[in-house]
Amino acid sequence: MTIVQPIQIQVAQKVFEAWDKLGVNGRAEALKKALNTFPDAQRKMAAWQIDNAEKSIAETRVMPGPTGERNELSNQGRGVFLCSSFIEGDNAKVGLVGQVFTALIAGNPVITVGPTGQEVMDMIAPFVAEGVVQNIAESAQDSLIEADHLAGIATLCDPAQAQLFSQRLAAKSGLICQLVEETDAENLSSIAKPHYLLRFVTERTVSNNTTAIGGNATLLELGSMND
Amino acid sequence: MFKAIEVLQPNFIQRPLNELWQLISPLYNMDEEKWLKELLPLAKPSEGELENQTNAAANLIADVRQDDDSMSMIDALLLEYSLDTKEGILLMCLAEALMRVPDKETADAFIKDRLSVADWASHAKNSDSFFVNASTWGLLLTGKIVTMDEKKDGTPANLVNRMVNRVSEPVIRKAMNQAMKIMGHQFVLGRSIEEALSRGKSYRDKGYTYSFDMLGEAALTAADADKYLTSYMKAVESVGKDTYSQKHRPTISIKLSALHPRYEVGCEERVMTELFDSVKGLITKARSLNVGITIDAEEADRLELSLHLFEKLYRDECTKGWGLFGLVVQAYSKRALPVLVWLAALSKEQGDRIPVRLVKGAYWDSEIKLCQQRGINGYPVYTRKESTDVSYLACANFLLSEHARANIFPQFASHNAHTIATISCIAKQLGASADEYEFQRLHGMGDALYNRLIKDSDICVRIYAPVGSHKDLLPYLVRRLLENGANSSFVHRLIDASYPIADLIDHPVTTLESRKSLANPHINLPANLFDDRKNSFGPNIEIDSDWTPFKAKIDVFMGQDTQWRAFPIVGGEKVATGQSHSIKSPYDHSQTAGQIDWADAATVTKAINLAEAAFPAWSARPATERADCLDKMADLMEENYAELMALCHREAGKTIQDSIDEVREAVDFCRYYAQQARSHFADPTSYTDFLGSEKQTKLNGRGVFTCISPWNFPLAIFTGQVVAALVVGNTVVAKPAEQTSLIAFRAIEMLHQAGVPTDVLHLLPGDGATVGAPLTSDKRIAGLAFTGSTGTAQLINRTLAARGVAPVPVIAETGGQNAMLIDSTSLPEQVVRDAVRSAFASAGQRCSALRVMFVQADIADRVIPMIKGAMQEQTVGLPYLHSTDVGPVIDKKAQDMLLEHIKHMTKESKLIAQAELPDFAKNGTFVAPTAFEISSIDQLTDEKFGPILHVVRYKARDLDKIIDTINNSGFGLTMGVHSRNETTCARIASRARVGNLYINRDQVGAVVGVQPFGGQGLSGTGPKAGGPHYLQRFAIEQDL
Repeated sequence: MTIVQPIQIQVAQKVFEAWDKLGVNGRAEALKKALNTFPDAQRKMAAWQIDNAEKSIAETRVMPGPTGERNELSNQGRGVFLCSSFIEGDNAKVGLVGQVFTALIAGNPVITVGPTGQEVMDMIAPFVAEGVVQNIAESAQDSLIEADHLAGIATLCDPAQAQLFSQRLAAKSGLICQLVEETDAENLSSIAKPHYLLRFVTERTVSNNTTAIGGNATLLELGSMND
Repeated sequence: MFKAIEVLQPNFIQRPLNELWQLISPLYNMDEEKWLKELLPLAKPSEGELENQTNAAANLIADVRQDDDSMSMIDALLLEYSLDTKEGILLMCLAEALMRVPDKETADAFIKDRLSVADWASHAKNSDSFFVNASTWGLLLTGKIVTMDEKKDGTPANLVNRMVNRVSEPVIRKAMNQAMKIMGHQFVLGRSIEEALSRGKSYRDKGYTYSFDMLGEAALTAADADKYLTSYMKAVESVGKDTYSQKHRPTISIKLSALHPRYEVGCEERVMTELFDSVKGLITKARSLNVGITIDAEEADRLELSLHLFEKLYRDECTKGWGLFGLVVQAYSKRALPVLVWLAALSKEQGDRIPVRLVKGAYWDSEIKLCQQRGINGYPVYTRKESTDVSYLACANFLLSEHARANIFPQFASHNAHTIATISCIAKQLGASADEYEFQRLHGMGDALYNRLIKDSDICVRIYAPVGSHKDLLPYLVRRLLENGANSSFVHRLIDASYPIADLIDHPVTTLESRKSLANPHINLPANLFDDRKNSFGPNIEIDSDWTPFKAKIDVFMGQDTQWRAFPIVGGEKVATGQSHSIKSPYDHSQTAGQIDWADAATVTKAINLAEAAFPAWSARPATERADCLDKMADLMEENYAELMALCHREAGKTIQDSIDEVREAVDFCRYYAQQARSHFADPTSYTDFLGSEKQTKLNGRGVFTCISPWNFPLAIFTGQVVAALVVGNTVVAKPAEQTSLIAFRAIEMLHQAGVPTDVLHLLPGDGATVGAPLTSDKRIAGLAFTGSTGTAQLINRTLAARGVAPVPVIAETGGQNAMLIDSTSLPEQVVRDAVRSAFASAGQRCSALRVMFVQADIADRVIPMIKGAMQEQTVGLPYLHSTDVGPVIDKKAQDMLLEHIKHMTKESKLIAQAELPDFAKNGTFVAPTAFEISSIDQLTDEKFGPILHVVRYKARDLDKIIDTINNSGFGLTMGVHSRNETTCARIASRARVGNLYINRDQVGAVVGVQPFGGQGLSGTGPKAGGPHYLQRFAIEQDL
């Protein structure tokens, strides 16, 4: 049976590669332009997430190992993220902005829900490629949650809702869709932490055999170094 | 360790041959300091000798510098394009690959890739050599043109420029191919022996003679080995017809790895029969035509095997009484001296002189790298260049001594002025006459030195000259040259008149003795590869002194009388549940490895109760204390290495090297996570929150973790998950795979022994229904780590989610549909070796194993038959034998599934090859390695976890489409890429959505902390095991 995937997922999937390829610094440049339009607390949250990403995941890490091989560890976006908040209030809105910016800076296209989502997206949209941010009506949310290629959901909700989400996502076939829940709307105790970002990335190792054509230059250099 | 200086006593070589043989192997990885202290006195000249040697070297260099026309083409090339410059390397890369690229598109892209990154202009007019300048101008011109069509930001340039490019591409390609031909002409003496003899005549007029070699890649298939044998035969015949002079007849050098597809220790039986027969045929023919034969030296792992074969050939009737059958010994090897001693004794015993070419050695950097990768206890080669030079002179002192040169005809191969001058001095001093030894040099190198030498003395100088088609030889020669890059620096300084002679003639003994340490402090021993933790150790199974004693320890556990008896371990108690299951060895179901009781419901509940109660105290312990337990565990596993390996063989059906790798990975996990925990979990970290206030957080344990692990890495993955959860502060209930619970039982016993409290860690062997279900449905489970199939991961996730409690972390590592992409710039021999290993090692039962290989259509007809041939050389057999490449699959269920897939694919696609199964295969669960050609990855639905490879041909222009189809499979675990074009590699790397990408190597065997492992999409949740973010997912980040 062919299931028709929601159009938003298809749109987001299409821009994913290009958005992800920009790298943290490229995305930060675009996203920072959007910051000014956000109210104070939201702006601080967004800026903090961008800054955190620049500090922690922007650079490719060169891993130690044998000579003659270059091993690098880098971070990529996971795919399309749905960001939503089921809690009203200014603080929750800061939380939502935190989710959205974290998901975006990590390399994921983001879809939000309803009028609150629309407001956030409208402020970001002018600065990113079309399709990187999208918003859907609440009525469309279910079909999006069921969609095959949804990589994850970041949501601000109460514990009972989080459980329900967890069950719905687990019921799906295909990849294990990540639930990144925040149930502490008052303190945002998950969202406002340095490691929150890691839930939105997937890591990639590239191992390059630099001696494939012969010489092991690093080693030759070490061998001829004077002590 | 023997006293090196004693070899100078004439009666040393009269000791029993076997006694002398025993001196060789233990020096394989002998402590470098200790052994060099032994060796130095043998190389050290007296004051008077030192003065003589130094003067001789200085005079030689001064003379050479006067003859400015005697620099050869290759010397000139190396002088301009020194291998420590980017341009030098790029030029060599181009030379290595361009000629084998059959299709224009790939060739053009490759040229562009190589030429557009270097600064060719800086080399123009620098060299006096016409040849070098001609190629520089070519490169300069093309380098400019190929960079024209793209602006810096990657947008296409204007139309005119692009048109120039399009028009000029064929011209550039032609010019580059021409340049490569010129290079080929310089490196290769002739395409046939006839051509070589004719081109070599001018040198022979000067007094040189030759040793010819049909150099090339090692044979991977029987067909290639036959081909090489035929060409050696022809070469012998042609040289036999040479009438130039009966004095100093040219000889033939033979590379054994070209004559047999499996010239390796594991295949000793075949080497001593099949390869023996091939070489014997060559010797017989060569002897009838009076053409000497020299066996080339290859990797250190093959040294002992090569000597066995040499001895058998030497003692054979075909060689007895001849005296022209010789071999090469590498001075960079710690074993060189005892090898020479043994050869002298062998020769003395039989009475036929053995010609021995003493070289410094050409595989230095790959030897070092290999030992680092395998965790070998030391290196087989010296880590300083001057130590190799010292060894060379020590060996020369022995070879030129009266008792040695009576039995061995020494042939000194070197391009180093000091070495050559010193050897001449030593010979004079020891009374060796000019006809008792000779010098050798490579074609195209060292002309200046030897032209001078040959003018001044009547010593024989033999040129070692590659013969064969440029296309086949250039890649090989370039790789050798690159590996031997240190040579270029000497050429440089020798010719450069501004470089003071005094700095070129330091005696290596003086240099070495002036060092603070004899071993090179910049090259860490394999054990010290990492700054912050000890590397795991592995014995070298190719080396007698390393492997034989180790194997004896394993053998203690290999008999049927050794049976393990395992139980669930709860609260430190072995729980006899009465539900006993015996574990059959996958390779022979009539044999058992032991018995295990499965846990029942009550046992599971009790374990969770205890784990829950133990959590507060355990998580309150300092992370450093928990880390200490992991380090202790690592040491305990190394102490119990032999038993764990026996369990890997008998319970999991793992081969010897796989079992070593298994234990090593488990050890590495422990030490890596211990180190990570110390750095990130011991103390709180501060950060400024989004509102600007300073905060402190700490990573803490979450509670009871469930760890469910697979049978394919029964110790490594099992231990890795468990210790990661533990070190963070969680308590653990662990369910190993039903098939491999015995080794898990031993691992838990050792963890308790290592200090993990018995109420913190519990073992619950059993099936999914009785053990897996409660371990995922209990509300107290605070997180779960799982490795296994995608389907099971989904099921587990559902059960956990249905508990009616807050969601918990699920760290799942699941399947893959792993691809390898091969373009036409790649080297087929390397591709085939890596593909066969990636697809069939461990009987394909690795998550990372290669399933679908995409070969560019232009080279498919070369690569696919090679895969077929290489598969026919794979030995399916008993996993504990060294000769076995592929062991059994885990059980009947796996076997049935795989055989069903083979049956299905045989109908649906084209069978490429299937390896043979031995007769005893029916006693166990074996599946023959099988390869199919299919039209698209879409023909496959899910992962088939076994030794089955699928091959797809693709057109170069469809590369992006291929990447899309691979991405669309939804899996994203590993991918291999073989290409010499860095732009292509980078493009694939940026587009492929996989967790682990491997360029120009095999795609299995990720190393902890080096290549963190794990996939995306359907292949897993991350974070990567053995990576810096893994532990964090087992923890909760809490503000203080």
